[in-house]
Amino acid sequence: MSNKKKFKKGALEISFGWLFAIIAGGVILFLAIYFSSKLIQTGTETVSAETGKEIAVLLNPLETSFESVQTTSITIPSETRIHNGCDLVGTFGEQFIRLDQKSFNKWIQTDVNVKTNNKYIFSNEEIEGEKFYLFSKPFNFPFKVADLIYMTSSKDRYCFINAPTEIEEEIERLKQENLLIENCSDEDIEVCFNGNCEINVDYFERAVEKDGKRVYFEGDALMYAAIFSEKEVYECQLKRLMWRLREISNLYQDKEIIIAEKKCENNLRLDLNELSNLADNLENSGELIIVKMKAEDIEMKNNARRCVLW
Amino acid sequence: MVARTPNRFNSKKGQLKIQQMAFMLIAIFLLFILAGMFFLSINLYNVRKTAVNLEEQNSMLLVSKLANSPEFSCGNSFGTSRLNCIDFDKLIVLEDKKEEYAELWGVAKIEIRKIFPRDDTICSYENYPDCGVIKIVDKKVNTLPASSNFVSLCRKEANERMIYDKCELALLMISSEDKT
Repeated sequence: MSNKKKFKKGALEISFGWLFAIIAGGVILFLAIYFSSKLIQTGTETVSAETGKEIAVLLNPLETSFESVQTTSITIPSETRIHNGCDLVGTFGEQFIRLDQKSFNKWIQTDVNVKTNNKYIFSNEEIEGEKFYLFSKPFNFPFKVADLIYMTSSKDRYCFINAPTEIEEEIERLKQENLLIENCSDEDIEVCFNGNCEINVDYFERAVEKDGKRVYFEGDALMYAAIFSEKEVYECQLKRLMWRLREISNLYQDKEIIIAEKKCENNLRLDLNELSNLADNLENSGELIIVKMKAEDIEMKNNARRCVLW
Repeated sequence: MVARTPNRFNSKKGQLKIQQMAFMLIAIFLLFILAGMFFLSINLYNVRKTAVNLEEQNSMLLVSKLANSPEFSCGNSFGTSRLNCIDFDKLIVLEDKKEEYAELWGVAKIEIRKIFPRDDTICSYENYPDCGVIKIVDKKVNTLPASSNFVSLCRKEANERMIYDKCELALLMISSEDKT
């Protein structure tokens, strides 16, 4: 009897009240932790989206007027990964950037894409750092189509070896800390104009070879684009540029009709229409030479006019 | 009979305690939800405010550069290159292609208004160039106050003897959508 009593006293006696409090408390704690973590995640996503939009806004001053090059830099308070992408949708295609930021030594990935239609950013698909350098150059084909923006991380230093004099002079004028023409180190990314490096530029063939992939360019603006971006980004942005070229060609065709009523010449419509079609049908950078030839022909005819179209 | 009374009393007291605890828990729960909603609404307000600031900043920076973009700029059409010069002949074509260009600049309104000589007639192919207001983007949405910039609006003109350039003073106005 006394043993039975002892056994009863030793048993865990949990009243319903306690059980209810433990379960309810557990549920409340779980919900609090769940919502707090969700809130932190949303907060990080908001910061990434805001920073992305800020970058997109800060790209506006990079639009060139008379200048041949514009340069700037962006410093983000925390370590950031910028994903650069391009979508071939709509009339002009879309440029999007997505930011992942480091928080407590861990990368917080976000799904928020900041989209713009009138920007063309050339960089690798993913660049990482706190400071990013940007410079822009106008892309004329034969008229101005857009400003191309080149974005690099301060962590990646590019060393231009045996570059033509005009390229060296331009890089010197840029005063961008991560673009070098001398005093290069082993960690730098070598860009060779005559030799075999990580990035090889064939200035006469107008081709750039990077990661074993070859792309073609016409003009210095597209050459820089090919150097600083991966093939996928380059080809996609090139297509978007050709779409913009198509639309501006159509604009000039209609402008010619308007100014023809004011006794101006009317001799470029068919050529502009052909340029528009060629630009629209461009499949890859290998076909760029065909569009370039037409553009040069049109430029000559335009320069010979009494009323130039652009 | 006598022994049963305290048990019944105890169980009733226990039930009352559970009910009390349940109400307490619900009250705490509601308090947390209210506090959370309050915090979220402040957060949302701040996000909206940031979005508005960024949109305003966007239109301010865009207005200073838009006149030099390929769709607007005079280029060398009127002699040498001019800064903040808009080609009216190109603009009237752009007005006709409004839908294609609606999303290009990411703003809700782009309007060019001739201010000297002032003319409030809306431009179209029919009345061009005898008009003074041209709307390139005109989304039917609430907009933030417009950012503006003075530009020269140039076009080709001709008389019996010659073709000449005519430039007038205009105001380029850009408004972003008010998403608040």
